[in-house]
Amino acid sequence: MKLLKSIVANSSLLLALTSVTITGCEKRLDIAPYQSIAEDLALNTEGDVLVTLVGCYDGIQSAATLGGEIMVLNDLIGNSTNINFTGTFAGLNDAWNGLMVSNNSFAASTWSSSYNTINRCNNVLSAVDKVTSSVAKKNSVEGEALFIRATLYFELVRLFAKAVGDGDANANPGVPLVLTPTRGVTEADYKPRSSVQAVYTQIVTDLTRAESILPSSNGFYANKWAAAAMLARVQLMQKNFAAARDAANRVIAGSGRSLNTDFTRLWYTMINNGGVMPTEYLFGVKVTTQDGTNAINTYFGRTITPGTAGRSDCKIRPAHVALYEAGDRRNFFVLSGGSFYTQKHLDRFGDVPVIRLAEMFLTRAECNFRSSTTVGATPLADVNTIRTRAGLAPLTTLTLNDITRERFLELAFEGHNLPEAKRLQTNVGSFAWNSPKLIMPIPQREMDVNKQLVQNEGY
Amino acid sequence: MKKRLFQLVCLLLVAGLTWAQNVTVTGKVTDEAGNPLASASVQIKKTRSGTTTDAQGNFSLNAAPGTVLVVSAVGYEAKEFSASANRATISLAADTRSLSEVVVTGFGGAQIKKDLTGNIARVKGKDIEFMPTPSVDAALQGKAAGVFVNSQSGKLGQAVTVRVRGNSSISANSQPLYVLDGVPITTDDQSRYGGDMNPLTDINPNDIESIEVLKDASAGAIYGSRAANGVVLITTKRGKAGKTSVSFNFQTGYSEATKRLDMLNSEEYAELILEGAAYRDNLSGTPLTSPSSWTTYVKDDVMDYFSYGQWSADPRKSYDWQDAVFQKGPYRQADLQLRGGSANTKFFSSFQHLEQTGTIIGNDLVRSTGRLNIDQKANEWLDLGVSLSLSRTYNRRLPDDNAFSNPLQAIALMPMTPFLDPNTGLDAGTPPGDVNIPLYYNPLLTVKYAKFTQDVYRTFGNTYFKAKLAPGLIFQTEFGLDFLSQNEEGYFQSQTVRNQTRAVRGVGSNSGTFVTNYNTNSYFTYTKVKGDHNLNATLGMQYQQSQAKYNFTEGTDFPSNSYQKIASAATKSGGSSSQTDFRFLSYFLRANYILKENYILSASGRIDASSRFGKNARQGFFPAVSAGWILSNEGFMSKLSQISFLKLRTSYGIVGNAEIGNFPQLGLFAGDAGYAGAAGQRPSQLSNPDLQWERTAQLDAGIDYGLFNNRITGEIDYYIKKTDGLLLNVNIPATTGFNSQVRNVGKLENRGWEFVLNTQNLVGAFKWSTNINLAFNRGKVTDIQGQIINGGVSSMNRVEQGYNVGVFYTPEYAGVDPANGNALFYKNVKLANGTIDRTTTSNYAEAQRVVVGDPNPDMIFGFTNNFSYKSFDMTIFFNGVQGNQNNIYGMGRYSSASMLYEDNNTADQLRRWRKPGDITDIPQVRLYRVNGSQASSRYIVDGSYVRLRTLSLGYTLNSKQLAKLKMEKLRVYVSGQNLLTFTKYPYWDPEVNADTFDSNIAKGNDFYTPPQPRTILVGVNVNF
Repeated sequence: MKLLKSIVANSSLLLALTSVTITGCEKRLDIAPYQSIAEDLALNTEGDVLVTLVGCYDGIQSAATLGGEIMVLNDLIGNSTNINFTGTFAGLNDAWNGLMVSNNSFAASTWSSSYNTINRCNNVLSAVDKVTSSVAKKNSVEGEALFIRATLYFELVRLFAKAVGDGDANANPGVPLVLTPTRGVTEADYKPRSSVQAVYTQIVTDLTRAESILPSSNGFYANKWAAAAMLARVQLMQKNFAAARDAANRVIAGSGRSLNTDFTRLWYTMINNGGVMPTEYLFGVKVTTQDGTNAINTYFGRTITPGTAGRSDCKIRPAHVALYEAGDRRNFFVLSGGSFYTQKHLDRFGDVPVIRLAEMFLTRAECNFRSSTTVGATPLADVNTIRTRAGLAPLTTLTLNDITRERFLELAFEGHNLPEAKRLQTNVGSFAWNSPKLIMPIPQREMDVNKQLVQNEGY
Repeated sequence: MKKRLFQLVCLLLVAGLTWAQNVTVTGKVTDEAGNPLASASVQIKKTRSGTTTDAQGNFSLNAAPGTVLVVSAVGYEAKEFSASANRATISLAADTRSLSEVVVTGFGGAQIKKDLTGNIARVKGKDIEFMPTPSVDAALQGKAAGVFVNSQSGKLGQAVTVRVRGNSSISANSQPLYVLDGVPITTDDQSRYGGDMNPLTDINPNDIESIEVLKDASAGAIYGSRAANGVVLITTKRGKAGKTSVSFNFQTGYSEATKRLDMLNSEEYAELILEGAAYRDNLSGTPLTSPSSWTTYVKDDVMDYFSYGQWSADPRKSYDWQDAVFQKGPYRQADLQLRGGSANTKFFSSFQHLEQTGTIIGNDLVRSTGRLNIDQKANEWLDLGVSLSLSRTYNRRLPDDNAFSNPLQAIALMPMTPFLDPNTGLDAGTPPGDVNIPLYYNPLLTVKYAKFTQDVYRTFGNTYFKAKLAPGLIFQTEFGLDFLSQNEEGYFQSQTVRNQTRAVRGVGSNSGTFVTNYNTNSYFTYTKVKGDHNLNATLGMQYQQSQAKYNFTEGTDFPSNSYQKIASAATKSGGSSSQTDFRFLSYFLRANYILKENYILSASGRIDASSRFGKNARQGFFPAVSAGWILSNEGFMSKLSQISFLKLRTSYGIVGNAEIGNFPQLGLFAGDAGYAGAAGQRPSQLSNPDLQWERTAQLDAGIDYGLFNNRITGEIDYYIKKTDGLLLNVNIPATTGFNSQVRNVGKLENRGWEFVLNTQNLVGAFKWSTNINLAFNRGKVTDIQGQIINGGVSSMNRVEQGYNVGVFYTPEYAGVDPANGNALFYKNVKLANGTIDRTTTSNYAEAQRVVVGDPNPDMIFGFTNNFSYKSFDMTIFFNGVQGNQNNIYGMGRYSSASMLYEDNNTADQLRRWRKPGDITDIPQVRLYRVNGSQASSRYIVDGSYVRLRTLSLGYTLNSKQLAKLKMEKLRVYVSGQNLLTFTKYPYWDPEVNADTFDSNIAKGNDFYTPPQPRTILVGVNVNF
């Protein structure tokens, strides 16, 4: 009997314990992640918006965007005659050969990383009212997000759509325009491609507003002059020469920046410059030992001296090296293992130049020349500014060809050649400037998911 | 008349009484070793009356003298004896026939196989002991019907794919749930380097008493939302009352890769690459001798440069880089096991030390484990026990397959590149020599000048209390834990800088992982036997919480390579800490009812709630029912004497899959978006508050049979497994800023047959028994609502409606155009009239992607033969998979690619097209101009194989010899693993899946993946 009692007592105790555990447990299922926060807690204060803006810069730091692959693609597709590509990334080899297919992995990653960053910008823009400490701060935040968004749309529309001047920009499909943050997925998120013209209009609107509200000085973040310089590039691409000229002139006159006296000091920013971005970079992407990848370095670089690295994939053809006049400091190549490599991108932690002041002189020169104007300076003076810095004798007379040739040599392997070929309507190897082979495919993945999209010709 | 009748009746009664004058039969039931057997049944034959033995094995019952009594106990062969007044001692032999085996069913449940209505495959510990596979899941290969195992890689300790009855998910984990002595254990990869690791490696397989794989819904429903991929119950050995047995086993040998590939030598390489260069030069009209020609480039800047100028001196000098990276790896293992106890206290204890060197240079595994399991009978109503296992597993890791430092990538290096730099005498590419030679980073440098090690300290602990509350009613509560502590350390010296660009002055990292996993089970079990009725019911709850914490530090700029700890790093270049948790709360119920030993009915169910699911769908109910009918007990079957056992059974139930990571339901921002020293955040995940588990409904119908007094036994099963509400990473337009959202979308199903056949072919002095298991599975995605889900090498694995998960979806290769050497592809475009255009094109973009293969096998089997004669024993074990394809494009695009790049190529590329009219399947060589090396069915190849998995031969000393040595047992043996492989697979090993790409969808990929080892061991086993 005693035993039975103890059993009963014990079992009731166990049951009581169990039920206590159970009621305690139900609440224990409500747990939260540690490295992430719920979206409704993420954008409520000025501080929240500011760190989201940093996230936008993180987005363009990605290898697949302005970390460098966009520039690499522009050079491999558009400058293939000056490069021997000996790498094994099929997506890049196909780009270089003009044999891209719709599942090109670089097309997919550039597309998705760009739109990922655009969504970050849209998040910032949707919450910019939370920035209340000062109007200047609010303007800066808005201007920077607009600058990044516009820059990415510009890169996308150049890579994935027909150039301005190739048929009707109002009819040609550009890329989908997404201007609000995504919180869920509805039918409206399956967006068709806006026209090339509509995309350019949005880019110009965004950059114009960005230029008007950004501060003159903003550390290595985007400032007024970065926006104006990007606007000059956009207008030049659209052959709005006067607008491009004026934007370039505003930068040269207003930014207070000047060309680095030594061309060769513009590079190796980590090895030679301790990671300080040269002031000639109107905008660049920071790479540090902790953060960021210089993807131009990945494909153009090679391990030669300490601090250099790279896959040795992009060998510069001797014919290109021979283009430089004697004494040209821009003949900036290293011979290693029998092949030439550009020294612009050997530094593993070098900052990625996005837009340099030198380009503004060349843009102003070309636009003045084409418009027969001398806004800011004569075209000859601007070209000679560039030549003198390169260690060359000034020219005395000038042709349009002189200007574009100078531009080609100055900006070689910085990701300009595909848009330059399309703008100047020059052949790329055996491909005409408007060949569909020079337009990247809308990624197969995207075509599969979104039936609203139309594919580019030939894919 | 009446009176006489009464007298007669009285007389008969008396006579009857006299005739039935009973005696009291007493006795003791023991096992063969003389240990008492409790709860053995002693019954009068052909009746239901009888008794059971007490804890000391004693029994007593009344029976007429001479009555035949049947003594039986679970796990032992029944014995008959005739009743008499003399005290009897009956010793029962262990029953090796499967029908009377006890099968573990989870939460304290155990059933005799013949009474099972669910489908549970049982693998005895004995069948996998002393196999040279470090993890228990790999050892299951070919041992259980319908359990597909792929070891994926020859790298030691890496993850193994296990699929029970096919792949029942797309995006959620499809590995089974592993439960060790009642505790669901951590099995996810915890490493931050290389491919996924296998935390099951921390279990000593020789500690295992049995493994039960719960395959159908009826068996699995008690694990509810976690059972859809099957449940693997691992039960460790417990003590036995009686004399303490001491067993020592030592085995040693070596492993080698199963195969070498035939690659081009220097002359062949030169022939091909010059042909490709000439093609390019002719295309552009460049004279071959021009300094800017491809031919000059290939001669000077490729072959001469990368051979330190040796190629032009001696074009025949050739190096097979496989020689530099494959090795004979020694293997050593020692096991000590102690087992014993008294009637009240029983213990099992074991120690193991294992040292294994990989078949690829730079890979080592060392494991030391210890275990102590104690069971104590506290008093009449309370049992308690504790189990504790400690282990340390050290692994020197190899990089993932898709790393230039993966030793097997050396196969891509040119055959003219010498192993050593002639200028320095050091390995090619070692500074101060030219670091840009060889063509790619020399992986030997990472072996010599870098090290990445993983140390796992693992504790499995478990305590239980088991109280008899009332007759038949037992309450058991268990508290279990699984602690996984891990330290990973890497140091890359400056010599590796071409590969580790941060290693200019050395880079070191150190990281810690702490996964604490607690589990409690509490349940009541009620058993009642009354007449023809036998009821067994379990009701309880389970709570599990798992917390994983990670930290990481990294430093660069070391004073020299002699300083390798981060204390000496001038720059602390990286650091991180993170955490993630999950929790489950569950209630379960199970009831088994057996009527007249013939009719069995079982029902079970579980309610699961989890932190992983959306607020709108936190709890789920998972029920199952099953029934069995033992026909052979029916009178009408008694005439069929050949059929000794026959049972029909069927089950139906619903189980779930909750393995989608933690917090997939929340809309999230992540704080990892810093830029140049400023902290940043980004939107990282779209929310889905309705997210819940996947539901798998499974129907199983089976027959268990025994013939010829159960010399032949077996099972036949058919199942249909239908999964809906698949947890999918649904692709959404990337223009949203997200690539996917986790939703419950879509359906898939698996149907299959399973056959098990166990035969005792020869009994007597020469014994021969055979076990065959054979399974056919057909998986099909029935609905994915138009989702496009890709994975694997070049996204060639795909989820396609109407096909199995992960089929290969790519253009179909049509060979080579004899006229011009162009690679051709079938267009496979659907025409307006509904037919498929089977014309070919050399324009790859015109060729539609189609399903050209499936990495999932149609059929898997295991075939074991055991022989013994006198002192000799032999086991021959084959396993095989049939009907699956592998994707070799990962390496093929570079190395079986008509010399597209400068990589060395497989020797079959010599068959390339050379001149108009050539009929071949290898296109013309065109250097750096793609011709046929695009993703296509050219690279999808047969992955079927049959393999002699184990061959072992043993000799056991007889008792006379042993007596002299004062031993109980001494056995010496030799065994071989993977001695023979029959396959058409062109690369190293068909049992493969590249770790870089591994996912549910991405199976069957080969990417310079190390092959399986062939291991030969000699061993000795001694018992005292």
